[in-house]
Amino acid sequence: MHAVGVLEAGLCKYVLISYGHSGRWGEGMLRMLLGRNGDDAVFGHFGASAGYAMAARRAMHEFNTGPETWEKIAVGQRKWANLNPRAMMYDRKMTTADYYSSPWVVEPFRLADNCLVADGGRACIVTTVERARDLRHPVVTIMGLGMHSPSADLAGSRYMAGPTGARAAGKAALDMAGIGLDAVDACEIYDCFTYTVEITLQDYGFFRPGEGRDWFAGGTIEPGGRMPVNTSGGLLSEAYQMGLTPLTEGVMQLMGRCGDRQLGPKTNNKTPEIILCSDNGGILQSHACYILRKG
Amino acid sequence: MTYNKPLPQIGADTRFFWEGCRKHVIRIQKCGNCGHLRWPPAFLCPRCLSADTRLIDVSGRGTIYSYVIYHVAYDPSFKVDLPYVVAVVALEEGPHILTNIVECDPHKLTCDMAVEAFWDDVTETLSLLKFRPAKP
Ligand SMILES: [Zn+2]
Repeated sequence: MHAVGVLEAGLCKYVLISYGHSGRWGEGMLRMLLGRNGDDAVFGHFGASAGYAMAARRAMHEFNTGPETWEKIAVGQRKWANLNPRAMMYDRKMTTADYYSSPWVVEPFRLADNCLVADGGRACIVTTVERARDLRHPVVTIMGLGMHSPSADLAGSRYMAGPTGARAAGKAALDMAGIGLDAVDACEIYDCFTYTVEITLQDYGFFRPGEGRDWFAGGTIEPGGRMPVNTSGGLLSEAYQMGLTPLTEGVMQLMGRCGDRQLGPKTNNKTPEIILCSDNGGILQSHACYILRKG
Repeated sequence: MTYNKPLPQIGADTRFFWEGCRKHVIRIQKCGNCGHLRWPPAFLCPRCLSADTRLIDVSGRGTIYSYVIYHVAYDPSFKVDLPYVVAVVALEEGPHILTNIVECDPHKLTCDMAVEAFWDDVTETLSLLKFRPAKP
């Protein structure tokens, strides 16, 4: 959104959005994941995983969700990673039984509900459509953007089970794009945890609270499914590169640069025209939604 | 035995709370203008921005808003407690507070279950506000 601002203001011609991190051998990521937030550590509460687990537990109480829903997200995304040679989990399959035998980390989350810690980087370039037409790759246009940040610290939060910032951000992005959800061909959702995918899609309006269990059933998000989600494997099964994992995958899919996982005849999906991407920060404290179009 | 777990970072904003804990009372800020009770401590009311701040003692009764069960010790000092429960408790008076639920079977807890304050005197000068299932 800032990139569009500086382009519109004429301050820049090309904006590079990049992220690189040596998460596996550096300490920065661990510090973020395990770091102390105020006096939470006094009570043995650390980092992101437990914060999202707290939100997920409240959601289990307020509507029909839990491991039966999250398993379909973890297993579905792994099938995409198995088509992506760059994914950390490319050669590791995950079955429903594998999900349930994954050890508890912070209950109700198992290890398989958590994203990866990765070494690597991602980047994409934002410019005007006119300039993009002169470049080597096909044009992908930003149709709509929305941001919403409820911000409250976890302990004070009343929106753990939704609506999160995804509700207002998604509506703003769809309104700007002038489309409804039925025009979306695929989603690339920020998936720090399995529950994040569920609450994000739920708040966007793909299904009503608790109906995710049925919505995800039958391979909805998998190769060949009716709504492909996180087609690189996502943060759960490809690599953790912040919001650039979903954003760059959306762009590359629309450019047709995704090899064996390229949506279309290869995966038995519709060749995508419009892809919805999300980003999210804190413990569901900030949210951004982007709608991208081919051409 | 020395207490080896992380200690609160007591500053000007939170000193009143920890001093209350030492006396086994839960002291919370109340807005002198609109009456809003707030946690965590802040020098302005988040509802009306008034700086007129009072302190009140609350009952120690509440319900579990949400909770998690740790199966991994992110800090080695918590290893002896595994599996242990971290919860957000909704105080009867309104504010939510992060805490532990003790004296319970973690797998018998539910959201919205009634709990009551439990004081854990961990050092001579530090008492932690924890909660346990309410006695009927
Ligand atoms: Zn006030």
